[in-house]
Order: sequence, then C-alpha cells, then structure tokens
Amino acid sequence: MSGEGGELERTLGFVEAMTLGGGTMIGAGIFILPGIAAESAGPASSISYAIAGFVALLAALSLSELATGMPIAGGSYHYVNRALGGLFGAVVGWGMWTGLMFASAFYMIGFGQYLVEPIPFLDGRAFIVGLGLVGLILLLGVNYYGTEESSAFQNVTIGTETVIILVFVAVGVFFIDAGNLEPFAPFGTRGIVATTGIVFISFLGFEIIATVAGEIKNPSRIIPLSMILSVVLVTILYVLVMLVSTGVIPFESLGESPIPVSDVAVVYLGSAGVVAIVFAAIIAAISSSNSSILAASRVIYAMGRDGVVTDWFNASHPRFYTPHRAIAATGGVTALLILVGLEVETIIALLAEAASFSFLVAYSLVHVSLVVFRRADPDDYDPSFALPRPLYPVVPVLGVVSSLVVVSQMANVVVVIGSAIVGFGVLWYAAYTRGRVVSEGLLREAIRGPPAQPFRVVVPIANPATQRGLLRLAAASTHANEDRGTPELVAVNVTAVDHPSPLQNVEAERADHQRDLLENAHDIATQMDVTLRTKAVVAPDVGEAILDVIEEEAADEVILGWDGTLDRDGYVFGETVDPVVQRAGCDISLVDLRGESIGEPVALIAPGPNAPVVAHQAVEFAAVDGTVPTLLNVQSPGSKPDSDAEERGRAVIADAAAAAGLEPVEYDVEVVVDDDVGRAVVDATSRYDTVCVGLSGRSEGGRIPFGTVTERVVNDVPGNIVLIRGSEPA
Amino acid sequence: MKRVGELTILVPVDVSEAEPPGLDILGDLGAVEVVLLGYFPVPDQAEPALLRDQYGSTAADRLDALAAEHGTSDEVLVFTHDREATIDRIADEYSCNAVLTGGRATTADRVLVPLRGDVNLDRILGVVADLLLAGHETATLFHSVAEEADPSQGELLLMGAVDRLVEYGVDRDRIDWQLAEGSDPQADIVDLGAEYDIVVLGETEPSLREQIIGDVLSEIVDTLEVPALIVRDVE
Repeated sequence: MSGEGGELERTLGFVEAMTLGGGTMIGAGIFILPGIAAESAGPASSISYAIAGFVALLAALSLSELATGMPIAGGSYHYVNRALGGLFGAVVGWGMWTGLMFASAFYMIGFGQYLVEPIPFLDGRAFIVGLGLVGLILLLGVNYYGTEESSAFQNVTIGTETVIILVFVAVGVFFIDAGNLEPFAPFGTRGIVATTGIVFISFLGFEIIATVAGEIKNPSRIIPLSMILSVVLVTILYVLVMLVSTGVIPFESLGESPIPVSDVAVVYLGSAGVVAIVFAAIIAAISSSNSSILAASRVIYAMGRDGVVTDWFNASHPRFYTPHRAIAATGGVTALLILVGLEVETIIALLAEAASFSFLVAYSLVHVSLVVFRRADPDDYDPSFALPRPLYPVVPVLGVVSSLVVVSQMANVVVVIGSAIVGFGVLWYAAYTRGRVVSEGLLREAIRGPPAQPFRVVVPIANPATQRGLLRLAAASTHANEDRGTPELVAVNVTAVDHPSPLQNVEAERADHQRDLLENAHDIATQMDVTLRTKAVVAPDVGEAILDVIEEEAADEVILGWDGTLDRDGYVFGETVDPVVQRAGCDISLVDLRGESIGEPVALIAPGPNAPVVAHQAVEFAAVDGTVPTLLNVQSPGSKPDSDAEERGRAVIADAAAAAGLEPVEYDVEVVVDDDVGRAVVDATSRYDTVCVGLSGRSEGGRIPFGTVTERVVNDVPGNIVLIRGSEPA
Repeated sequence: MKRVGELTILVPVDVSEAEPPGLDILGDLGAVEVVLLGYFPVPDQAEPALLRDQYGSTAADRLDALAAEHGTSDEVLVFTHDREATIDRIADEYSCNAVLTGGRATTADRVLVPLRGDVNLDRILGVVADLLLAGHETATLFHSVAEEADPSQGELLLMGAVDRLVEYGVDRDRIDWQLAEGSDPQADIVDLGAEYDIVVLGETEPSLREQIIGDVLSEIVDTLEVPALIVRDVE
C-alpha cells in the first residue's frame, strides 16, 4: 500500500505553529529597531508598530484563507503563482527569497551589535560584521548537516526569550516618565508612516506558518488561529516595548543607541537586566535568522517545483537529506549582504526596509490573489477558513491600499532597490520562465466571473408509457427554478447487465430499446422548450448507476418514477429506488403517475424540514397545466375550539410557504380539522389530481421511515402521487 | 479466555537506510499480525514533500521488498519530521498493541518481561499471553525491588502475573519468574536482557522531566542489544 510514494506526516500542532510564527517574529526587529524607529518617529513610533501590525494582520487574514484552500509548501509565492500566473509568481518568488535573505542578514548584524556593544574593549563595525558572519556560518553548518526534532529545545528558548521581554515590559511600565512622551509625534504623520516601512520587518514570521502549511496538523483550524493570534499578540508586545522604551529614555538618546532595549533595561533592571536582554536578543537573532534561511530554502523549493527556477536547487543532500544547495545559495548571498555592512553605515535600516519592501509588495499581490481565487472559484480551491462578509472584500482592498501607502513613504534608495528586485523578477520571467511554466494563473477566469450555474434535473427513464409525464414534470421544475440557474434536463436510461464489459455488446434488442427511449425524450423536450441531454448507461446495478449520474451531474433535483407499491421483498419502494432515496444528496420527487394529467395538485403540509420543498414542488407541478396548487394542512381538534386548530394549520402553511419563498397568490390554502387525521387526509386529497407528500429525510438503521398517513395516501388516493424528500447535507 | 489473534505489532523501519534491518525475528513470532511502517526521517531543514519527490520510489521499493520477505499484513510509508509522532499515529490507525524496536535477533525462544508494578500491567500481560499463545517462546517475568524494601510485595506481583498468564491459557511450564534486589533496575534489565531474545516493556506516559531530558524507556531500548517489544499505553 505504499503507492503514490508515501504519506507526509503533519507534525506541527498549535504550540509549534505559534512558536514558529512568534519565534521568527520576535527577533532582532524588536531589539534593534526601537532606536531607529524612535529617531524617525519619536514616541509615536509605537503607532508605527501598531500600523505595521495591522497591515500584517490584513495579510495574515488573506493568507489564512489561501493557506487552508491550498495547504502546500510555498506560502505567498505559491498563491500568487497560482492566481496571477508565472510573471507575478516570479516577481513574488524572487522578492520573497531576497526579502528573507535581507531579513536574515539584518538579524545577524543585529546579533553582532548585541554581542559587541556591551563589552567595552570590543568595538567597531568590523567586529560586528565579523560576529554576524560567524553566527551565520554556524547556522548554515547546522542547517547543512540537518537537525531532527528540535522543537522542544526551540519551545524552551523562545519561551525564555518571551518571558524576558514580558518582564522588561511589566517592570518598565512603572518607570515611564510622562515627560519623555512629550511631544508624542515630533515628526508628524509622515514620520510615523515612514517608520512603519522600517519596522514592518518585525512581523515577517507569521508568513512562515503559511510556508509550512503542508506540515500543520488540522490545518483548517490551526493555520488561521496561529497566524492571526501570533500577529495580534506580537503587535501588542511591540507597542508596549516601544512605549516603555521611549517612556524610560528620551527618544533622542534612544535613537543613538545600536542596542536600545538593553540601554533601557539598564535603567531599572541593572546589569542583570542587561545580561538577560543580551541573551534574549541573541536567541532572537539566531532563531529569526534560522527560520528565514529555512523559509527561503522552502520558497526556492516551491519555485523549482513550479518550474520558475531550475530544480537543481531542489536536490537534497544524499546523506543528510537537507536541501543543501538551496541553503548554501541562501547563505552565500546573505553573507555578502552582511559584508556590505563594512562599507555602509546605515546597513541595518537599509536591510530592514528592503526586506519590508519585498514583503509589502508580495502581500499586496496576495490580497489580489485572494480576490482572483474568489472570483474564479477553481474546483480545487475549497478553503475551510473563508473570510466572512464584510471582512471580504474589505480585508484585501484595505490590505492593498495600506501596503502601497507604506511603500510610498519609504526611503528613495529602498524604493530603487526594491523596484530593481521586482524588475529582476520580470526579466527572469521573460528570459527563463516563460515558455516553460504551465501556470497561466486564474486572472482570465476571475475577470469573466464564475461560469453560470445550471439548474439541473435528472430524470431516470425506463418505461415509454411514463416517460412523457415524468419529463413534463421535470421540465416544469426546471422552468420554475430559472432564477437558480439555466434550466437543464438530463434524461438517463440504465440498462442492467451483470458484468458490463466494453468487449461484449448489450443484446441488440435492449440497446435499441434504450436508444428509442432517449430519442423520444429528445422529441418531448423539444416540444417543451427545455435543454435536454441524454445519458445511456450500462451497469450491473441500476440504483447505483443512477446515484453515480446524480453525483457526476451535480444534480439539483431528481424525478424518479415508481409504480406506487410499497413494502415488497423487504424494500420500501423497490430495489432500485430505495438506495437512491436513501443516498442521493439532492431533492427527490418519487412520482407514481396514475391519472391522465397533472391537473390541480395539492401539497400536504406538515411541520418539518420537508414542508417548504413540498410546497415549492406543488407550485412547480401546477405549472404543467397552468393551475394553482392547494397547500393542505390537517389538524386534530384537541381540547381547544375549532378556530384555534384552524389558525394553527394556517400558520403551519404560511411558515412553509414563506420558507419556500412563495407569494400568497401562488397557492390556495385549505385547513381541515378532524379527529381522524388519516381519513381526513385521504378524503381531502382525493379531490385533487396530484398529491404531493413529504418523505422524512432521516433514514436511520438503513430503513426509510414511512409514516402511516403517507401510507394511506399512497394506498387509498386515486390521483397521481408524488413523494418528496428535500436534499440533506451530505 | 482465548486471546489469540488480537495481537498486532507495529514494526517501524528506517527506509532511508539502504541496508534493511534484521527482521528475522518476525518469522519466529508465530501467528501475530505485523504492520510494517517504513518511515523516512526528514530533517527540520527539508520539506517532507521534497524528500518524497526525490526518494519516494526508492523507499517504497525497499519497503515492498521487506514486506514481501516477511509476509506482513499491512505496510505504510511516511515521510516525517518526527519519528515518534508517526509511530504513535500509525499504531493508533492500525490498532497496534505493541511496537517492535531496537536490536537484532534471529529467533524468539526466550522472552524477558520486566514488570514495574501495577503500571500498565494488564496490557503487558495481555500482549505476553498473545505472544506466547501465538508462538513457542518461554517467558521470564522479572521484577526488581529496592535493597532495603520487603521482597514479599514483589513476589506477590510476579506470582499474580504468572497466574494471570495461566488463566489466559498459557502453559505454566513456559513461564518462570525472577525477583532481583538492586538499586538500579534499569541496569539489571539491560544486563539480564542480553541473555534473552526479546524484551517486552510497558510504555508509560513520560513525565515533564522525561520529556525534556529523555525517558527511562528509550534509554533501556537504546542500550539493549536485543529487540524490545513496547506495549502501548492506550485504551
């Protein structure tokens, strides 16, 4: 049973997903950027973090739906590639890959700063860059050789790191000097928005959850929960850290510090606080950088899988089984980026902003992709977490707008770098990908909108004597439901054969019979002005074959002929009909045509899930001969006066008609009050040409429940009998 | 009380290794159901799908060859970051009572059954009974008491256990028991285990400490040279 090449174990639970997302996010971003953020926005930089968190939350919402719709590796890149095609796929793929490398380099330089600054005799950029490189090389080594099941260790370190930050915030709140928070926004709104672009990098981790969607247990619940929760919690944490930092130290001096959080901690936690913060900062830098390298290699894997880049990267090491080429390539470029730090003083802010730029562009395309998926609605896209209204379309629209606003306020040099990466993606597509990639995207389908749904009625026919009546009922049904879709009739005839085989022809006589039936059906349909398709099926079991057709055609309704006998050979309606009634997932009408015409129908309305379907069906059938149906309810008088019972009956009918969406002019009402309900029903319905009765949908213990009143109607009423069962949720 | 036929053993095999492990003991266990789990360990760094793309067919071939050789009733191939989680899940899915791990042995003549106390006792004895009734082995029940403690408690446990096995229909001649005094039951089990063909151990819910620094059970299993049959601790 090992075909298909084996199962993939889903090993990440809620805690693992949260530590993965949170652990990547709570990284160098919060330990280094507060300085730069304070410098450019003052105490209001906490607002910048809040805005960045909000933009990230919008992306997390859209990504949650996409990730539960397509839980496979690749994250944003994969969704954009599917939705918008190879061009945008290449842009986002390259953008994410470079963005993750920018982020990784940023984390490692931050790591160097936190190691170097607290020790007086170590100083200078060379040391910082050198330590960053050493850290990176260690990480690459570990990842090249591979690790197994390190999640327990990660949980402990990330837990410790979070506790340290919580202590920092909880104690720090009491040391806030209100004077430091004045003026709150010295650089105005522009400063706040511009800072948002720098600090956005602090939120990159949640995306990792989507990148590893294929490994998450119970993805429909855990993916949205962990993505949304981790973004919200981390945003709150960041805003608090920023408020404490700018509240304890004046933002001007905070801005000059390369290790701002440590400088704040020394004020009220002393040297022990500094050690703890340095420890947390180092852990944070390593875990964030590590996750980024791994995420980058997964993006490359997904790009190779889709043919956007060569799958040379996708080979895994013959002994360690790690994607060593992807890791080495990612590490090599990251090392170069760290080395740039020797020459460029503002490297930290530059790397942070460049990474933010790439991801903001990626997320705006993710939002567009969500809209495309919703509009095109491909068959394999069935997200178990769908944004409810009005979150859709508000989230994607707001997401695109807010991402673009933040991007527009970024430093010119960053916009140039970011645009160059986008341009590279476009060139790459033109030069390499185009012609190889199959993915065309769903844009065309999305613009056209989902195809018009037909309203499809399936009519199994077998008997030339009854087929005309059945088809007339079916035609009336489809016409009555024109608001639900283009009417379409499917007539199917099943020829029963013990062992169907393509090599053996069905006896000529039976084949002719089948052909005649279906040709006749076409003639009848033409007279009734309805689109008809016919299906000739040869199968061992007629009931099963009908069920297969119902499923294939995604039928909305089935109209099935039946000879009006009950309880024969252990079946309720018969060997063929019983399984269809029990298992078909759509509305079913079981018809016994006894009279010449459909004439004036009556629907027996009793409270229950079937009542609206029965009422609606009676109206549809009345259309055959242009009559008005009667909705009938029979009440037993009980101890109350007759008028009460009469009112009760009218209420039942009114409810059912309302639920079926019927206007009062479309039907007549009749309420009968009688002690003997069964006899009264038979008497009342015998006056009509066609009787519609509901059939309980619940079949427990494999047997179709069948009430005594229904039984009396079937046995004693002379008119046409239609037994109706509403569709059940599958 | 007849219990034969209820015993299903999960046998995990690392299919990333080219050389199949020695599973000869399976042929000697008699009429037990065997579910063969071929797992491919995926490092944290790699996407499981990546390794499946690359090694799926090789791994499936290795697993098929093993299954054909040992006539197992089911086989599953899984690419996993977490071997233990996969073993647990597959054991649940296929309702396995015990998991075979550890060292090599070609025959299964003598079974060592260390008992820790009442923990998981019913399930361990059930599996041992099934094992003995399906094959031809003899079993030694073993219990270790602390040096200072009263040994009668341990004797009672062992004799009760023997009676239970006899009730299940095992011939009394095939069971004996041994009570040891010592401060390090773990080492005693490992030493004694070397004289046997297979050791039956009960799985217990690991404590928090064990989850972090590694549990006693896997230490024993790792040091034993013979295979261990781990009785699962599930309802």
